Amino acid sequence: MAFGYHGRYLRIDVTNGAGEFVPLDDTLLREYLGGSGLGVRLLLDTGAAEADPLAPEAPLIFAFSPLVGSPLTTSAKFAVVSKSPLTGRINDSLSSSGFAVAGKRSGCDAIMIVGRAPQLSAIVIDDGEVRLESAEEFRGATCPETEAGLRARLGNGYRIASIGPAGESAVRYASVSHDGRHAGRGGSGAVLGAKNIKAIAVRGTQYTEWAHPRELTELSRSLSKRSFGPATAKYRELGTASNLLTFNRFGTLPTRNFQTGSFEEAANLSPEGLSETRSKTRDSCVACTIGCEHIYSLGKTRVRVEYENLFALGSLCGVSDADAVLRASQRCDELGIDTISAGGTIAFAMECVERGWLKEQWLTFGSGEALLRALDLIGSREGIGDLLAEGSRRAAQVIGHNSIAIAPQVKGLEIPGYEPRALQTMALGFAVGARGADHNRSGAYEVDFSAKVDRRNVTTDAVRHAIETEDKAALMDSLIMCKFLRGVFEDFYAESAEMLRKVTGWEVTADELRETAKRIVSAKRQFNVLAGWTPAEDTLPERFLNTPLPNDPAASLSRKRLDLLVAEYHRQRGW
Amino acid sequence: MASYDVQAGTLGQLFKALAEQIPPLGTLICKDRLQSALVANLNGDRFISDPETPLGENDCVLILSADAGG
Repeated sequence: MAFGYHGRYLRIDVTNGAGEFVPLDDTLLREYLGGSGLGVRLLLDTGAAEADPLAPEAPLIFAFSPLVGSPLTTSAKFAVVSKSPLTGRINDSLSSSGFAVAGKRSGCDAIMIVGRAPQLSAIVIDDGEVRLESAEEFRGATCPETEAGLRARLGNGYRIASIGPAGESAVRYASVSHDGRHAGRGGSGAVLGAKNIKAIAVRGTQYTEWAHPRELTELSRSLSKRSFGPATAKYRELGTASNLLTFNRFGTLPTRNFQTGSFEEAANLSPEGLSETRSKTRDSCVACTIGCEHIYSLGKTRVRVEYENLFALGSLCGVSDADAVLRASQRCDELGIDTISAGGTIAFAMECVERGWLKEQWLTFGSGEALLRALDLIGSREGIGDLLAEGSRRAAQVIGHNSIAIAPQVKGLEIPGYEPRALQTMALGFAVGARGADHNRSGAYEVDFSAKVDRRNVTTDAVRHAIETEDKAALMDSLIMCKFLRGVFEDFYAESAEMLRKVTGWEVTADELRETAKRIVSAKRQFNVLAGWTPAEDTLPERFLNTPLPNDPAASLSRKRLDLLVAEYHRQRGW
Repeated sequence: MASYDVQAGTLGQLFKALAEQIPPLGTLICKDRLQSALVANLNGDRFISDPETPLGENDCVLILSADAGG
């Protein structure tokens, strides 16, 4: 068995609470590493692609990686992998916290959960021993309440992941929360809720050894030192929202359900604006030297602010009241829902109201009160919330009026904060993304923000760049390293190979990792094909293909050109 | 977002002038180019990196993080 691994995963059937360790062989681990790669491989082997994602037999996997527990900065990460109830396609959602370290110390490289518990329950994994405990007392509790309550019951040695009311209510974009962070996208919280599992608590003492511990320590020190450099400065100084005003200036800040790309009151939502009247602190994930978390005061509480929250709950809904946006962000964390899909679906509904297709007159662009009301209704699936809990694609199918043309989604996953018409390499990344419109599985916006392409008129020359960012993301999500480190590496594949060699002892090369990345991307694709993928899914909503961006008419993307880009992408992938 | 008025005929000259006038920014400039963590944009339109790129009297060069989002 390679160093850095336990060589087994823990399979838990929550129908009866039984846990068993299943061996993982070296070849599979070397081919898929961990995180997203390992999770997707294990899912494929269970036949999950054809299953209903909310059925008891559908597995949900927490996948760790060889680097978890090592001194390498940002390595305390895990992937939550399942079939998405929102898209019906693969979903791999990454997050960081002590849960990753504690989960791996329970003696496994992944935890697979199947079945359905007879009552609302918590899975407790104590050094590899599995038991179910009732979680009925936490029914309806928020994520922070659940985690605090369970920690009080079990003791401080446990790290806990939980779902909020939204996961219990099968909101299709419910998240899995842990330590105030979230595996946010694609609805893994709903999958866990469908299994009657409110929380998972883990602790353990089973460490893995490193192949070359002294060299690993030296490399870790060097990487940590470099992580303080200019490549990560923006995350330290202003956080992920640092480019919000720049995006607005470029006309790429999606506003009022993508009706335009600039928001007249963007300054209110910028980190510079937020800092003027609020105190701010910084924090970081476990084992991270970057410290990208910027936490703002909100009355007597504090709210972690990310670009995607400010965009989705702010400009996309036309809301400029910063307090309302911060409160909405906090409410999403409490309910356990993905802020991007929540904001995207609410913004879509606001435009439907504007067009007379929905009768909820209170749900208007710019109203912070309406935003907060809609979030609560979604979390409990009451009133219009029951429809919006389905996501914008399913809601559009019910609303009719060809509203699917303005539903801001690809494959059912709501589009993150990058205007596709003005960032056309990203538009391609969104269209072909295995889990739908996603900025974490394709970093193609970086190509648009470079001299490599004309971002408003990209040609097929951009395709290889888009593929390159997708491959890199697949490798980072499987090693697992934080993507905020990506600018730190001078030779990403060679340095990744060196890290992996020092941890596992494998004589792995940069070329091997390039192949590994492609293998993982292909595995996701294979999952989707088995789940019913068709070529017609690799596209964007009609709005982006028929209408130039009103604030920037040069930003225009025709269906013909997007189809050419997608066809070239498939050709270069060999699909 | 801070702004400065600088006299420069090319992108490379602009970076040299910025490095002299704003020492903290100088650490992010290697000779006449930005470090890879940053990118430059001309007038909100195209992204530019060639130091010989000519600049006009009223041109506006935006310097921003190469990592676009988060």
